Amino acid sequence: MSLRRLLIANRGEIAIRVVRACREMGIESVAVYSDADAEAPHVFAADRAVRIGPPAPADSYLSIPAVIDAARSTGSDAVHPGYGFLSENASFARACEEAGLVFVGPPADVIERMGSKIAARALMEAAQVPVVPGTVPADQSDAGVVAAARTIGYPVLVKASAGGGGKGMRVVRDDRSAPESIQAARREASAAFGDGTLYVERLIQRPRHVEIQVFGDAHGAVVHLFERECSIQRRHQKVVEESPSPGLSPAVRRAMGEAAVAAARAAGYRNAGTIEFLLEGEGDAARFYFLEMNTRLQVEHPVTEAVAGVDLVRAQLTVAAGGALPWTQDELSQRGHAIECRVYAEDPENGFLPQAGPLLLYREPQGPGIRVDSGVREGATVSVNYDPLLAKLTVTAESREAAIARARAALRSFPVLGIRTNIPFLIRLLDHEEVRAGRLQTGLIDQHLDELTARRETPAEAIAAAAVTRLRQHFDGQAQLHGGESPSGLVDPWTAIREWGR
Amino acid sequence: MPRAIVLRDGAAEHKVTVADDGTVSVDGGRPIRTLAGPAGEVRVDEPPRLAWTAAAGDTRWVFIDGEVFELEVQPEGRRRRAAGHQGSLSAPMPATVVRVEAAPGDIVRRGDALIILEAMKMELPVRSPADGTVKAVHCKAGDLVQAGVPLIEIE
Repeated sequence: MSLRRLLIANRGEIAIRVVRACREMGIESVAVYSDADAEAPHVFAADRAVRIGPPAPADSYLSIPAVIDAARSTGSDAVHPGYGFLSENASFARACEEAGLVFVGPPADVIERMGSKIAARALMEAAQVPVVPGTVPADQSDAGVVAAARTIGYPVLVKASAGGGGKGMRVVRDDRSAPESIQAARREASAAFGDGTLYVERLIQRPRHVEIQVFGDAHGAVVHLFERECSIQRRHQKVVEESPSPGLSPAVRRAMGEAAVAAARAAGYRNAGTIEFLLEGEGDAARFYFLEMNTRLQVEHPVTEAVAGVDLVRAQLTVAAGGALPWTQDELSQRGHAIECRVYAEDPENGFLPQAGPLLLYREPQGPGIRVDSGVREGATVSVNYDPLLAKLTVTAESREAAIARARAALRSFPVLGIRTNIPFLIRLLDHEEVRAGRLQTGLIDQHLDELTARRETPAEAIAAAAVTRLRQHFDGQAQLHGGESPSGLVDPWTAIREWGR
Repeated sequence: MPRAIVLRDGAAEHKVTVADDGTVSVDGGRPIRTLAGPAGEVRVDEPPRLAWTAAAGDTRWVFIDGEVFELEVQPEGRRRRAAGHQGSLSAPMPATVVRVEAAPGDIVRRGDALIILEAMKMELPVRSPADGTVKAVHCKAGDLVQAGVPLIEIE
């Protein structure tokens, strides 16, 4: 069997990433879009595009009937969910199966099992994969959760049983502060997942977040594609990822890879997935604990593609069509070093507030070892409706040091103007001595937040550049607008007169 | 002919002179050589490096050395504009009023052409910077208006 027409139930950079794989494989691609995305790059990238509803995600990208209808009406035979949205929704995978559509991902029951922290944990314990000591208190009252926290021993992490992504997660250090944090976690869990059930686990101090890419096919083969170091996070959201992980000893790397394969086998896993681990301690003495499994392609998959020399999306489509994995474990190795930086529309100087507005100027860097996955373009407007991820910059070089230098130089050639982005913040992060030294842990950004987000003095050169800006705008509305003006085509006549009067 | 402009950076104001050869001096400081390209890029010395710039109204965005700065052009002969684009729009240079397309009481939308000026043989629409109501019009077709004279008031 081979796929003929694939509907991509997503938007932005990941939709475009999947379109590219389709094009290489001779598969027709179908994009979906909400009213807010009618002119988005992913709509133009795909062979066809179908409107699925209004801007609100619940009425478009998260609407199972709307997406299934779009797949049916376009005669698609398969659906790729991307990440986020419906990608880890078992009901959606099931709806695809029932509609006779190939779901590019694991079977629905696997998504369901691994999506439940309780079931996933029980499965891992049975497969002898180490897990962090923790429990879902049978008594979910404040007092019941406090009692569970005491049994495990403070400090503990209280989090939503139903979901991930850092939502509904609170650190509790003592009895006194417990009720307030528990109530906040419950509220967030209910709001994000419609389920306020809480999970309590031991807090691993100064943990590193290291995950293993796994891949299984329908013929019983399961391999791992090494690790991704994802410790550089802010509020439990990854910011910079790399592979190999600095400081992971060969013995621990091997043990984690084997544990991840065992975990995927135990889950009956098929297609691309990720086992997330928390790592505590150093060198061969480091201990790792199963955190959760992500039953989808990850945002940071380009890091693995770079060091392992593979195309994960292509493999996803091959395996979804019933084909065998393109690689055996013995054929896989890590080569060189890759770093991914997530470029977000947010203002680090103002609490990382998401930004919306026109991309007056947007130029992606180019060069050897530089890959940019993006879902935006110059002249477009970034809307408030969706995730503020603008682009992913992934660099590859011979060594970690060379990769940092390359990422830094690429970011300095990645001008984005019109809205604030985290590009200056990413550069400071790469310049930070803890990052340079590879001393990574999940608290790094918070501990150095002030120096990473301090406002810089405006240099005279910046003022000079502003003074000589050649305004790329015309005055009579008839002429071609080149950008540099607002994307609505509005031109401030005063600016125009002044320039012209020079 | 060298020109002088004022750029505002938050609370600070910088007097900038630009010579015909692109040499810029900020607040009377050392000369900075510049070369502006056609697509927003500006080469700046010293050391030589590339900056990128973009304009939106009076705002100038600059990306240089991996940092982003936002500056405001402060036109000569024009008072600092109140926040929210309210108040009067005044001419920054002498021009002739060709047409007035708004009257007191009119409800206008951001981007509406309110007045058409002509100067140096080019027509320029004066567009509303925001949604609002026309409070007063201080000119009529055929008027020669001077820099800094309020033409229309919007609230």
